[in-house]
Amino acid sequence: MRETALSIHNVSKFYKVYENELDRVREIISGKPRYQKIEALKPVTLEVGKGEVLGIIGQNGAGKSTLLKVLAKTILPSTGEFTVNGRIAALLELGASFHPEMTGHENIFLSGAIQGLSTAEVESIYEDIVNFAGIGEFIHRPVKTYSSGMFVRLAFSIATQIDPEILIIDEALSVGDGAFSRKSFDRIMDFKAAGKTILFCSHSMYQVEAMCDRVVWLEAGEIRKVGRPVEVITEYSEVIRMSSPREESLGSEVQPEEESSLVEDNKESVEGLPGIEKIEISVDGRIADVHSVVSEESDVAVRVLFDPGKGVPMPTLAVAFSGGDGRIVSSAGSFHDGVSLSLNEEGKGEAVITFPRIGLLRGNYYLDIALLCEKGIHLYEAVRRAAEIHVEQKGLERGVVILPHEWTT
Amino acid sequence: MNIVAGYGRNIAQGFLTPISSMLKNRTLFWMLVKRDILNRTSGTVLGKLWPVVQPGLQILGYWFMFDIVFSMRANRGPEYLEYLLTGMLPWLCIAEVLNRATNMFREFSPLYRRNPFPLELLPLLIMAIPCMVFGTVYFLLVLLLEGPVSALTSLAVMPMLMLWLLPLCLVLPVLGLFIKDFAQVVPFLVMITMFLTPILYFPGMLPDGMQQFIWLNPFSDLLAVVHGIVQGREFSQVNVLRPFVVWLVLLGPAWLVFRRSIPHIREVL
Repeated sequence: MRETALSIHNVSKFYKVYENELDRVREIISGKPRYQKIEALKPVTLEVGKGEVLGIIGQNGAGKSTLLKVLAKTILPSTGEFTVNGRIAALLELGASFHPEMTGHENIFLSGAIQGLSTAEVESIYEDIVNFAGIGEFIHRPVKTYSSGMFVRLAFSIATQIDPEILIIDEALSVGDGAFSRKSFDRIMDFKAAGKTILFCSHSMYQVEAMCDRVVWLEAGEIRKVGRPVEVITEYSEVIRMSSPREESLGSEVQPEEESSLVEDNKESVEGLPGIEKIEISVDGRIADVHSVVSEESDVAVRVLFDPGKGVPMPTLAVAFSGGDGRIVSSAGSFHDGVSLSLNEEGKGEAVITFPRIGLLRGNYYLDIALLCEKGIHLYEAVRRAAEIHVEQKGLERGVVILPHEWTT
Repeated sequence: MNIVAGYGRNIAQGFLTPISSMLKNRTLFWMLVKRDILNRTSGTVLGKLWPVVQPGLQILGYWFMFDIVFSMRANRGPEYLEYLLTGMLPWLCIAEVLNRATNMFREFSPLYRRNPFPLELLPLLIMAIPCMVFGTVYFLLVLLLEGPVSALTSLAVMPMLMLWLLPLCLVLPVLGLFIKDFAQVVPFLVMITMFLTPILYFPGMLPDGMQQFIWLNPFSDLLAVVHGIVQGREFSQVNVLRPFVVWLVLLGPAWLVFRRSIPHIREVL
């Protein structure tokens, strides 16, 4: 039994709404309730072990952010209590409490002081914070002059450098630009490797599954399911799919009402980071623009040329077939298949994946290609609907794929 | 009995919580004070002199208006100018604190929106700068007008006034945040209160029938005490007792309002 990092007991939160602000003031003065309740979080009881990476999933309005805000102590719970074993750092809504008039330099010390660090302690990590944020001379300018990217980079750098025992991340895995995104991802993986506790809230089911030890699914303010990522995410994805048919794609599964920064809009390649350069699809050795294939007969090969980037480990590739309704029918990834990609004579990354006698059944399918980090989690670039494949079949089988099978009579 | 105990507890907490928070978070507090001073001075030619020059100029303005334009000294005797200046500077300090208190939560919202920032620190923060700035100018002014002994005693004036303003600095920010009209009304109320307080005039200059009414205003007592300790003017125990009782009466409910409003403040913005 591992040590408890976070113990949440019956924590609930309802927001108070008033007909007008005067009613709020009357309530504050008299102590008599005049509010209407909006229940954001029903009583939640949960133990998070030390070193555990806990994913929190759920649709918008499920109470994820409310729970994280309560745990980060930026709002007070309406009922219940929780105990935190160690320092907690939170990246909520990709921001931090910066004093807009203060320079980045001063804000580092301010944030440290709010977290209870002494000036000497902040001084000892100051260089690391500045180097990691990588905002150059801007560190000596007021943060009100920062771009949103710089703001987030500094916030992320501070939150992770103050060495918290518990890190709360609310939708922050792809902070800043491409290069910083990769750095921040590495930093979070370092936290995981160092046995820190992480509470990770994301709409990317792929990332949650890849990173988390356990997942909590919140629905309408209460826990619907807690368990192993694969179990919870499978059930969650099914419910989402049933309630609103939508597209899914490699690397990200996005709520219908939300925008995603990952695959939904193709993530563009950034200089210095790996990026896809060319995709070539051939059927039975012939390269064509329109790909007509015959089920269980045609060999479909996908050739991808990519820039491996500079100073990063060799990336991995993933390919997915999705149907016209957007649902992924099948996918394959080099990381999961244990295949290392290599460079060609020109120094470019090159890989070919072949689907011999493709087992798809009649219909139109789309091909998504994604270039990911060496662990197959962090997405560098994705090309959605890179090609359309029209499958015909000779038999009368129904469905989307033919499963390998045998008859015994 | 419970009500009395609860009231006493609120008074004690209203006084002790902000102060203990300031001591506990002294690094943070000092950092914000320094930034506040820098905000007033950065980018200016006179730089660090401004905090002292600005109240000095205000005092010069009042001196010009009342001594030269209205010839009050000629009419009311030479002590008028000293009376005016030793009362006006503390009032300017009070006015600045009250006006800023009304907008306090909005001004500092970036600090507590995403962080567990100790909100009880803010009332003391908005008092700290005026207390230091006006305190310094006041010391120099009293040194010039009344000599070194009075100048030393004058050092107690601003902290004393700030302490008295604590209940108002707990309530005004809450009202200012939730009732926007307050931001418009408070500067007007501050100005009216100045006219109702014997700052520009001696209490004896009012018509006989009106003199008793100025003591309904606790600032009249406070100013009487200020003039007493700085200028050696006469003041009675009642002048001390009355504002003290008002302070005690206000502090308990003010703390209650502040404490109850904390969850609202964190959620509203």
